Amino acid sequence: MVVEMDGGVGVAAAGGGGAQTPAPPPPRRWRLADERCDLRAMETDYVRRFHRHEPRDHQCSSAVAKHIKAPVHLVWSLVRRFDQPQLFKPFVSRCEMKGNIEIGSVREVNVKSGLPATRSTERLELLDDDERILSVRFVGGDHRLQNYSSILTVHPEVIDGRPGTLVIESFVVDVPDGNTKDETCYFVEALLKCNLRSLAEVSEGQVIMDQTEPLDR
Amino acid sequence: MAAAMCVDDEAASAAAESAGVDKLDLGAAAGGKRSVYLMDCAPVWGCASTRGRSAEMEDACAAAPRFADVPVRLLASRRDLDGLGLDAGALRLPAHLFGVFDGHGGAEVANYCRERLQVLLRQELRLLGEDLGQISCDVDMKEHWDELFTGCFQRLDDEVSGQASRLVGAVQESRPVAAENVGSTAVVAVVCSSHVVVANCGDSRAVLCRGKEPVELSIDHKPDRKDERARIEALGGKVIQWNGYRVSGILAMSRSIGDRYLKPFVIPKPEVTVVPRAKDDDCLILASDGLWDVVSNEEACKAARRQIQLWHKNNGVTSSLCDEGDESNDPAAQAAADYLMRLALKKGTEDNITVIVVDLKPRKKAKSNS
Repeated sequence: MVVEMDGGVGVAAAGGGGAQTPAPPPPRRWRLADERCDLRAMETDYVRRFHRHEPRDHQCSSAVAKHIKAPVHLVWSLVRRFDQPQLFKPFVSRCEMKGNIEIGSVREVNVKSGLPATRSTERLELLDDDERILSVRFVGGDHRLQNYSSILTVHPEVIDGRPGTLVIESFVVDVPDGNTKDETCYFVEALLKCNLRSLAEVSEGQVIMDQTEPLDR
Repeated sequence: MAAAMCVDDEAASAAAESAGVDKLDLGAAAGGKRSVYLMDCAPVWGCASTRGRSAEMEDACAAAPRFADVPVRLLASRRDLDGLGLDAGALRLPAHLFGVFDGHGGAEVANYCRERLQVLLRQELRLLGEDLGQISCDVDMKEHWDELFTGCFQRLDDEVSGQASRLVGAVQESRPVAAENVGSTAVVAVVCSSHVVVANCGDSRAVLCRGKEPVELSIDHKPDRKDERARIEALGGKVIQWNGYRVSGILAMSRSIGDRYLKPFVIPKPEVTVVPRAKDDDCLILASDGLWDVVSNEEACKAARRQIQLWHKNNGVTSSLCDEGDESNDPAAQAAADYLMRLALKKGTEDNITVIVVDLKPRKKAKSNS
């Protein structure tokens, strides 16, 4: 199953000389952060239900996913900390947010060295603890990611007979001058994959620490 | 030690110079001058390092005088050594190690390299010394150095990523040294009486000042270097221009120690340069890109050479090599390193700056009045 999130729009726009054709969009492609996992119907359904982006012709969109061997409440407790992204995001060196975590909160993020950015200003668009949805928009910074908006969802699943979590993060963003859609998606996906691998490492590490009962019980 | 010291005969030196000898004498000359392989080589260096305008200090540097003995077979062929009447199997030259490590994403990997690389290299040189005795045919020396450094850097990278275990205190540790986005450059120089050997991984740099001209001993590993880009793309990676050319649009260098999130595109394999020393060698400069981004090779060489000369002119040759000087920073080389660091700051570099200057010009010892 292939779901193409940006190629279709681009092709339609180019083919129509700028005018969008009324034909249904072609399938969209998205890449798994965890290459060993196969795309399943349930995941495609999650994408359809929770990760709707409508990129314009100068934008691109994509998504990454990760299966984590940790219960969903633990993973969600980490990702919902809008005020402390450094808990699981390895590229964050500092984060400053005033007041409580609520829709409309803005955080100032300082980025670690080695990346093509030093800071990012980010607004919390949605935080749904019942459905476990987090949506963030970039409103400033030197990262060249204009009008960046992301949706992250967390879903319970069973992995090897134990409670696990499927995390999906999708985004839409302007393609900067001088770059292609493919380059922009590749760049953002690389960063998101690293974030999700780190989230898995932190969550699974916490599970190991929480293992007070013997495994054979 | 005294027996091993080179005793320069002024008359012989003058004769050699007037004869227009460009290279140091490689053999035992009739004038009594010792072969370059038997000369002592005092470490004469200075190191300057600063956070600069960055919020963090992620650079590290190492200076390890007499850190290991290098088997002479790594420096010359058996035939050449036999021709000089030297025992190719047994002779080892004392060598010094200098290194600059520019970290990113954190300082953990750079700090680990500073401590660990010299240990690994010392071990490998010792093992290689034993092996070389068994080798009857002549293998190219450069290949030996390539193999030696490639093995050390790979081991270092494996330890950083947790793929190889490392000793922490007395315990075997197999967890990564740092998160997967932390990495470091590594440019190191092994300096002995006959040669300078440089191994480089990343975009720090080593430059030799020879006859007032810069000689590049390393080539920066930038993602837009044609061969590096080809290697990365052949592996299915991408080099994307995002505030400069970057691997996956993220990292501004194509090789490093660490950075496992960008494997297999970013590799720890060093490029090695082996260069025989020459009479007109002035000094060697190792530095992070905090210097090289704003100071050209030519400018750095000119400034370092002038600062060393200026120091000696102002302080007199008699105090330049005290007993302590053999094992600690040399004030003239230190003045040169400090000057280059301040120059980079003045020119507005945004990064950490680390500079090592190694004085390669033999200077006469003070004559005793008694």
